[in-house]
Amino acid sequence: MSGYADIHPPEWPLKFLRFFLNPKYLEEIEGDLEEIFQENIERYSPGKARRLYAYETLKLIRPNLLKKFMQPANFNHYPMYKNYIKIAWRNLLKKKAYSFINISGLGLGIASCFLIFLFVQHELSYDNYHENGERIYRITHGSRSTGDAAKDAKANPFWVWGNAPVGPALKDYFPEIDKIVQFSGRSDILLTHGDKTYQEDGVFFMDSTAFDVFNWKFITGDARTALAAPYSIVLTQSAAKKYFGDEEAYGKILKGSESSGRSAAGDYVVTGVIEDIPNNSHFHFNVLISLNTFRKSRPEIFENWGYVDFYTYFLGNEQFNERSFQQKIPDFITKNIGDSDSKYTIALESLKDVYLRTNAHRQPGETGSLSNIYIFSIIGLFILIIAMINFMNLSTARSMERAKEVGIRKSIGAAQGSLVLQFLGESILIVFLAMLLAAGVVVVALPFMSGLTGKEFTLTPLLTWQAPLLAFALIIIIGILAGFYPAFVLSGFKPVAVLKGIMHNSGGGGYLRRALVVFQFSLSIALITGTIIVYTQMDHLQNRDLGFDKEQMLIVDYNYDEIVNYYSESLKNTLEASQAISSVAFSRSVPGSYFPNAGTTIENADGEMKMMVQPIFQVGIDFVNHFNLELVAGRSYSRLYPSDSTSALVLNEAAAKQYGYTNPADIVGKKFDQWGRKGEVIGVVKDFNYISLHRNIEPLTLPFDPYSSRYMSVKINPENMDKTIKEVNEVWSKLVPHRPFLYSFLDNDFNQQYKSDLMFKQLFTVFACLAIFIACLGLLGLATYTAELRTKEIGIRKVLGADMRTIILLLSSDFIKLVLIAIIIAIPVSWYVMKEWLAGFAYRMEMQAWIFVVAGLIAVLIAGFTISFQSIKSAVMNPVSSLRNE
Amino acid sequence: MKKTKLGEFEELVLLAVAALQQEAYGVEIKRELESRLKEKLSVGSIQSALKRMEEKGFLTSEFGEATQKRGGKRKRIYATTSYAHKVLKEMKDIRAGLWEAMPVLAHELKLI
Repeated sequence: MSGYADIHPPEWPLKFLRFFLNPKYLEEIEGDLEEIFQENIERYSPGKARRLYAYETLKLIRPNLLKKFMQPANFNHYPMYKNYIKIAWRNLLKKKAYSFINISGLGLGIASCFLIFLFVQHELSYDNYHENGERIYRITHGSRSTGDAAKDAKANPFWVWGNAPVGPALKDYFPEIDKIVQFSGRSDILLTHGDKTYQEDGVFFMDSTAFDVFNWKFITGDARTALAAPYSIVLTQSAAKKYFGDEEAYGKILKGSESSGRSAAGDYVVTGVIEDIPNNSHFHFNVLISLNTFRKSRPEIFENWGYVDFYTYFLGNEQFNERSFQQKIPDFITKNIGDSDSKYTIALESLKDVYLRTNAHRQPGETGSLSNIYIFSIIGLFILIIAMINFMNLSTARSMERAKEVGIRKSIGAAQGSLVLQFLGESILIVFLAMLLAAGVVVVALPFMSGLTGKEFTLTPLLTWQAPLLAFALIIIIGILAGFYPAFVLSGFKPVAVLKGIMHNSGGGGYLRRALVVFQFSLSIALITGTIIVYTQMDHLQNRDLGFDKEQMLIVDYNYDEIVNYYSESLKNTLEASQAISSVAFSRSVPGSYFPNAGTTIENADGEMKMMVQPIFQVGIDFVNHFNLELVAGRSYSRLYPSDSTSALVLNEAAAKQYGYTNPADIVGKKFDQWGRKGEVIGVVKDFNYISLHRNIEPLTLPFDPYSSRYMSVKINPENMDKTIKEVNEVWSKLVPHRPFLYSFLDNDFNQQYKSDLMFKQLFTVFACLAIFIACLGLLGLATYTAELRTKEIGIRKVLGADMRTIILLLSSDFIKLVLIAIIIAIPVSWYVMKEWLAGFAYRMEMQAWIFVVAGLIAVLIAGFTISFQSIKSAVMNPVSSLRNE
Repeated sequence: MKKTKLGEFEELVLLAVAALQQEAYGVEIKRELESRLKEKLSVGSIQSALKRMEEKGFLTSEFGEATQKRGGKRKRIYATTSYAHKVLKEMKDIRAGLWEAMPVLAHELKLI
């Protein structure tokens, strides 16, 4: 037997055996295999013995002989975790009120954050659908005064709207420009198909390169040629549906009216239908008309550097570099504008900045506000912080309840680390439940949010594959942030002290808790103050005397229709005959709507003829009386002076000042020269707010030119307005039946300018209310808890003769004190922040002391009311029931 | 029997352990069963049955002597517990009872 001792079993099966076999069995089984191997050598060849050995090894792979690969070999924690979860769940159920406060507060906080995130995301997503977006730029026009473009723009805002020849000139000068697209200012046109006639007010005349630069998707038609020929028209899907229903629009004819100053009336061929312009575009339209239509009607404009009616966007190629472009601008200007006196210059804006970061005026569409984004992000964060503070306060306040548990866990060997983990786990569980609630709230609140902001919100930014991961990460982060402090307080208890029962209710934590309540309420009070200021300011804007009559003013927009202007006298006479109508006037513009600018030369105070640029309202003869504008000097247009129609000019006080006249009477009688018309200034009207109150009143001229009018304004009596409107409609359809009767009210139109301010007001109010609601939930929780702790004390006090009032005061005074401190902190902060916000308005309310007093009172009242629930409950409790337990 | 589950092969291994007494270790049990059953058995099947029954409380074990033939590794000697004896006895009785209950006629019929 010993003769075979030098023959050994093969190496690798042995190694393999040692790898997979449970170490407990290794010695025995290895021995068995060796013994069998030795026997087999006696019986068979060494080779066969080895093979058998390997075979036996493989057959040892059985579940109950394997190493425990899947579980930690040493200890199984599972029951402990199960216990943690069980305890957490029991605590949730046992204290339903606290769980409700925590979960609903955090849920609302997280939901507000999500909603605000969606809002911010939407604002930031503007124009991001253009494939080459980062290479798209646009030109702004302005005048150079210091040589520093940034300073120039601040001193004298640049305009996005500018001349036409700059486009081709840029293309010639800059090789790094790939494609230029130019389009006209927003136009209005009356389109007719069969019996369907609509006034389209979102129309641009646009270059055929539009679709090379912007990514608007074609449904039918060829992107390259759609806007090439004159009188071709591209409709959005919804516009096409409006005219053609379900019929194919492509190739059909739309009869178009004249578009004043841009194109003559004609038949337009539909050369394409595109998808509706995405909601997050910085300008919108329903209809595009080829720029060649414009060019065909008024070719001279396209050579004129002084005629302003075009937006110029371009697509840079790969070599495009913003800085080198800007450096070449001065040379470009000198090359193209020979006149060295000209101060004209251009600047560059990148597409990613045009919605949020532009200061230029005369935008093709709406712009957003970066500061609103900041304000709402901060509010969202505040709300979440307030909710987290609730959680912290309630957990630490109730720490005594868990103290025994902690003591016992510690004495049977729990380390502080694992207790911290346990309590963090509990807070994560609560945050998880809050997250579920938040998801529900977001889904329910989204339509309201869309209604409030007038923007379409979808859940799509939240419904990506990252979303569950993100939600998970958020749960963990919020859970840890909110649970960190309580976990350390709770796990830090000394078991001996706790189990002996000599613990006082966390004296140190009390200060922190109070500080947190003060912080919470400071935030809430600041938000209340903000809300009051926003409300008062909006009220101030809407009720301010603008210097003209805007009430009961019916505005009919007929878009410069020549026939209507021809009939204007008879319209006026017929309508004014009615009892219900006090006066009728025609004008090119009404306050709050679009107006052009004109260069006007007037003899200034030093006797020189000086050219200045200012807005212009071409008006009918009785505009001044009709809108009840106040004349401060001279006279208004009159039928008594036939020459008024060609050689007279009325302007406003600001314009008089512009030309150096401090006393408006002095400008009367001075010579003027404007748009080919010469004569004398005959009157000055008091400044009236023809633009939004965000801005100061600018100089304005009101030349008499009844045939360039666009609007008919009808001042009607307040009684029976519906009947009067019907009456006006009848007269209208009798005299000018071809033109649809489109009316609106001046005060509504004017307030349209405050749309985004109103949205801001509403969002701000909603979130401020949420913040204070959540803070009150927390306060209610704390008050309930303190009252519970003091049940015995209150019982004894009552037995000794304290009345209800004393006890309510006793329980409330602590919290009211905190709220008072919060008021003191909040007032300066909100004063400063709101001052910044008000700086965005030229006409602002006074921030008077009463606002802060009211905000403070509201906070005290709300807090007092919240606490009173609990304190009254404790105060009326029968002392017998609270004292008999001992 | 109740809840106790003892498979057919397990029962054989258990009986072998009981029969071998002091010699009841892996290889010897395998040899004993191979000679009685007249078929090859793998170490794995024997070992896995042994471990299973040890867990169920039919067997106890302790290390025995080491031999040179085993490469200096110790044997593990298995011993049956009284519980195992009880269960084995029960099974034997049940079988015996069933054998007795089998009618003679049927037995003979089956032979035909």
